[in-house]
Amino acid sequence: MLMLLVAISATSQTTISGIVTDGREPLVSANVYIIGTIDGCLTDSLGHFSFQTTKTDELTLRATFIGYEDYTLSLTQTSGLTIRMREKATAIDEVVVTASTYSFGKSDNFKTMDALDVVMAGNSCGDIVAALQTLPGTQMVGESGKLYVRGGESDECQTFVNGMHVLVPYTTNTANNASRGRFSPFLFKGINFSLGGYGGEYGQALSSVLPMETTDVATDDKWGVSASLLDWNIGGTKAYDRSSLSFNANYTSLALFNALFPDRYDWTRPYRKLSGEAQYKADLSAASVLKTYVGYDLTSVGQQIDNLSLSLVEHNIYANTTLKTNLGRGYTLFTGIANSSVVENIHDAQVPGDHYHNFRNEVHLKAEVRKVFSPVVKMSAGAEDYIRHSTLTYEDSHYRLDYHLLAAHLDAQVRLLPHLFLNTSARLENASYDGQWLLMPRATLSYVPNKHFQLSAMLGQYSQTAEDEYIVRSGKHLSQSTANHVILSLQYSTAKTLLRIEPYYKKYHHLPLLSDGTCTADGYGTSQGIDVFLENHSLIRNLTTTLSYSFNDSERLYLDYTSPRTPDYASRHNLRLTAKYAIGKVIIGLAESYASGRHYPQGTTPYYNSIDANITYLAHPKVIVYASLNNILGRTNVFGYKTDGSNITGSRDRFFYIGIFVSLKNNKAYDISNF
Amino acid sequence: MTSRIFKSCVLAIALFLMAPVSINAQQMPMQALVGQSLSKLQQDQPETILNCIAELKRIETMFPDSVQPKYLMALQSLNYAVTNPHAPQADNLLSDAAKTIDQMEQMAGADLSDVCTLRGFLYMVRIVQDPAQNGQRYYIDVMNNYEKALKLNPDNALAQQLQQKFLEGMQSAMSR
Repeated sequence: MLMLLVAISATSQTTISGIVTDGREPLVSANVYIIGTIDGCLTDSLGHFSFQTTKTDELTLRATFIGYEDYTLSLTQTSGLTIRMREKATAIDEVVVTASTYSFGKSDNFKTMDALDVVMAGNSCGDIVAALQTLPGTQMVGESGKLYVRGGESDECQTFVNGMHVLVPYTTNTANNASRGRFSPFLFKGINFSLGGYGGEYGQALSSVLPMETTDVATDDKWGVSASLLDWNIGGTKAYDRSSLSFNANYTSLALFNALFPDRYDWTRPYRKLSGEAQYKADLSAASVLKTYVGYDLTSVGQQIDNLSLSLVEHNIYANTTLKTNLGRGYTLFTGIANSSVVENIHDAQVPGDHYHNFRNEVHLKAEVRKVFSPVVKMSAGAEDYIRHSTLTYEDSHYRLDYHLLAAHLDAQVRLLPHLFLNTSARLENASYDGQWLLMPRATLSYVPNKHFQLSAMLGQYSQTAEDEYIVRSGKHLSQSTANHVILSLQYSTAKTLLRIEPYYKKYHHLPLLSDGTCTADGYGTSQGIDVFLENHSLIRNLTTTLSYSFNDSERLYLDYTSPRTPDYASRHNLRLTAKYAIGKVIIGLAESYASGRHYPQGTTPYYNSIDANITYLAHPKVIVYASLNNILGRTNVFGYKTDGSNITGSRDRFFYIGIFVSLKNNKAYDISNF
Repeated sequence: MTSRIFKSCVLAIALFLMAPVSINAQQMPMQALVGQSLSKLQQDQPETILNCIAELKRIETMFPDSVQPKYLMALQSLNYAVTNPHAPQADNLLSDAAKTIDQMEQMAGADLSDVCTLRGFLYMVRIVQDPAQNGQRYYIDVMNNYEKALKLNPDNALAQQLQQKFLEGMQSAMSR
């Protein structure tokens, strides 16, 4: 009887067998089974499968393999099956076009880097802007410290925090002393630095944008302190059920540093900066996130320059609030408001006894709806308003300027073919002071055949108002400057190596041009070049090396230029080599920066060169020590020439920094507690 | 962090703690299938984990609105990857686990504490795969996710155990 049962059981089972390939190679570990059952198996190393099923009626077979379309087949035969699977087309929401953008943060995008990486980057001393200057496309302008991108002026790069514009993202300083970015890298979970070709969401930036996303709601309390020869910092976070409140206070003073390491300049009052920041973040519901940020900087410095006893005081306050809500059905609503206020007072600005006062204010309002319609279409539409006000008083001259910049944009991302993606956008802008409307189309076509390779072509038009002073000097009739970008981008990446090559061309129109005390929009210019970036993790274990090279050929007629020429901030060749090596609790960084000479009417400067080193020591789970020495060789780099022909150099050749970061209440090791 | 002891401990914890999760099965046939599938697991034979994941995938196809097969599939994928971080299948399994966790997050019946636990585990496996590169990058994410999981459900035993193992692993890695 038992044998009979076994025999019946055996005869009621059907064996299904065959092979799974992608058309060329067998697929190993594909999941092959009969739908509606768990009868199935994984393919072996040769792509073969064979299993039994007890199902006797209509048999439908399915094969699945990650990265491939599911394969379904109604079986008419049960053996010798050949299953040819097709690679899955990337959904529009999954594809990340990296062209012209460097992303930092915890993602699987092109390049990932977190706050500690920023702090430890070659010669950055914790400055985001300085860390970004290790990337191709940026220019070395030592006396400014600001971002100059692909032949553009520093103000052609605009900064956004949580999507909201920041009017003045740099700290201030006297002439020929480098500024720093005013935001701590520890504020952000993601930084996307776009060197051109960006979509319709961003405006008022001729060359590049730097959008940064603050961290999410904290889950636990923490507080800590940090100290160096230059600055002292205290900060912390109080976590609640669904929200967190953070604060940070910082005092920077060069008094001690100047006393220990005197420099070339005659300081009547050492550089000092007092900063305070606060953040409130709340998960209002599972679908809504509220983020607010407010920061205030008070900067004060005095310098004796020939017969001038210059005294500078600046107040810079920035605040924003954003709300991101998932409305369901794939809709996301973003709304935000930001306010920037900057007051600058300078005594002895140009002649003894003079006084310069400038107040600028910007309110930025923004709303945007995003929707993923299907795996092939994603759209967003938004509107924003910049409300600007400024007053300037200098001796007998005075102006007041008020205007709006109203803008709307529409972006569509479409998957044209399985590996071909098109991102088109249009941005419409109106400046109230001259009433002109600008419609700016932008498009990016990307071929993404696999996760290793991307090829993109970008075209777009961008606009930006000139500085307030030039608008006033034009009689408030100055057209916005525009720039057309054409960019090609090729990227190849593996787990250990990344190569990106990007040739570009930019054409500028309506740049401000000064003539007889008035300003017109008759300036113009071009900028072309190629950027190369190579990152490698495979030479030696725990060693990361990067190579950034930029060639730039730019020329423009603007401001007080009498004929088109290469702008004095632009170097033809920029090269940066970096290496970072981790050995136990120590991380060592080395950087070499080279830039060819810059062109001035008085002549061309010698090349710029600096070798920098830094070391990070994880002394204790709650203590990080960081030290850096910039320009080890002590080369006196010449950044330009004054009108009398003398050299413009930095205040000092070498710069030494040592800092210690201590977490006082934090259950996480090696986590900076100041935010 | 990459020591065999650490990986085995994590696997043992995850297997032990799967039992209470299985009790919450919504449908008897599904629970029976899941139980049948899990019963074939043998810790010392990685291929049995791969087969179990494949079976759970089939069950998940049969019960697309159920959280349990998704949870177990993601957990098993992470189990496999943490013990075989450099196996050829590990990266694909991690990609699939990440997608499954995202799907679970959108499901009404999903326990957010479990979702956070899985996400913390996912980052933890990334660190095990490449401690030098990913340790600094994902360390805070692992901690934050386990903390959030325990805030949402202080009795989440898997989160407790994984958090403890992670801290031990970090401590031993840093004391070297």
